[in-house]
Amino acid sequence: MIAQAVFCFFGGLAVLCSILVITQRNAMRSVLYLAFTVLSIAGVFFTLQAEYLGAIQVLVYGGGIVVLYIFVIIIVNLKEMTPERRKLFPRIFIFAVPALLLVQILLVLFGNRTALPPGTEAGLGFPAFAEMLLTTYFIPFEIASVLLLAVLVGAIIIARRTLLHDSH
Amino acid sequence: MIPINAVFGLGLVVFFIGLFGVLFRKNLVIMLMSLELLLNGVNVILAGLSYRLKSPRGSIFAIFVILMAVAEAAVGFALVLAYFRQKQTYDVDDLRGLRG
Repeated sequence: MIAQAVFCFFGGLAVLCSILVITQRNAMRSVLYLAFTVLSIAGVFFTLQAEYLGAIQVLVYGGGIVVLYIFVIIIVNLKEMTPERRKLFPRIFIFAVPALLLVQILLVLFGNRTALPPGTEAGLGFPAFAEMLLTTYFIPFEIASVLLLAVLVGAIIIARRTLLHDSH
Repeated sequence: MIPINAVFGLGLVVFFIGLFGVLFRKNLVIMLMSLELLLNGVNVILAGLSYRLKSPRGSIFAIFVILMAVAEAAVGFALVLAYFRQKQTYDVDDLRGLRG
């Protein structure tokens, strides 16, 4: 019961703040609402018993990505944008795609569908999580670390102020 | 016990709002923020499935999604910075340099 109340609170907060993220004109306010959204989604993860995921969400999103956004906004000095106008065909397109997706969502939520099979594997806690991550998913885990190294190098090279030249 | 439909609904609504942001806004930085919202919606659904099926698999996939999000944010911002240095703008309507 309490878990449901907490879930509803954080879920409602996440939805509200994510609407505010995309409707704010000022980019810095958008970033602050993004931080709110991310932290309330971390709360949702805690109520879903994904404690490790919630902790990673707080550390990586709340501590890393949001600060990165703030730095970039300070660097590029985002000002208020001019009013955003579009032509007719893109406007029809951007209304039609989300509308069709909304219909799909409502069908999924309210349509009758086959029930999910009951869980078979035991355990949601840290030991089962860590064991599966470091045995079954060990190779993707290592590949992800290589990916992060490549991203580090690539981001530095792309964002350099001067281009790299051959020395010879 | 949280009903799985509520978790699906929350994840889909957050995903949907992020999709609206990517499609409607023309500011590159806010479009990147909306991409983070998309990935967060997917993560909520993955965590809900993990909870419902009593298996850590969903959480592990969500961890990988977060890794992808970090990589995407870093490279995306490097590209935004490089683009801003060239053109002094971040409106997607001006991103037409490669048009045939």
